[in-house]
Amino acid sequence: MKLTTMTLCASALLLLAVPAQAAGDPRAGRLKTSMCAGCHGIAGWRTAYPSVYSVPKLGGQHADYIVAALKAYKSGERSHPSMTAIAGSLSERDMDDLAAYYASSYSGAAN
Amino acid sequence: MKKTWLILAAIALGASPTAQAKGDYEAGKAKSTACAACHGADGVSTVASFPKLAGQHRDYLYQVLKDYRSGKRKNPIMAGQVQNLSDMDMRDLAMYFSKQKGLTLKY
Repeated sequence: MKLTTMTLCASALLLLAVPAQAAGDPRAGRLKTSMCAGCHGIAGWRTAYPSVYSVPKLGGQHADYIVAALKAYKSGERSHPSMTAIAGSLSERDMDDLAAYYASSYSGAAN
Repeated sequence: MKKTWLILAAIALGASPTAQAKGDYEAGKAKSTACAACHGADGVSTVASFPKLAGQHRDYLYQVLKDYRSGKRKNPIMAGQVQNLSDMDMRDLAMYFSKQKGLTLKY
């Protein structure tokens, strides 16, 4: 009985835990990178304004962190002119998909 | 003996400009212990809410640390962490983490 209860509790926890993770689709994300790739996808690319530094690498970054960053740009909590504008145009679904794409090893079909 | 010190000092002075501008790997490694708790020993964090730093661009990492210190970028944890970091510390840390294997450029 005790074991059954514990198993049930554990299962319930697992079920709860799954949707908490960013549930984006890397394949869908790959199709939404047109606004990102012009800066994040070019070797040696630097920001031009307001200060100059290399645009961060996204490949292999945690999806949860990318989503949090995009949401922070959209809400204005984090500020950068380009990123505020771009994140502002993204839905939560878009953010999840993009984050899943950059976090994953999926690189999509060759262009 | 005095001469030896003078020579050593001269070497140190001569070698420092590059190290100062770009940061020192070994110094950064030594200073990175405080970062490891969240970002992982080599900058590959195992907790999804903490960003990986390994392989990130050196100048980006430096910029981010400066932004946390100035308050331009806000995060309660990071604000406390960077409070006592000097410019040199930030350059050293950025150098160390940028040299670790992790993040990649992805189109």
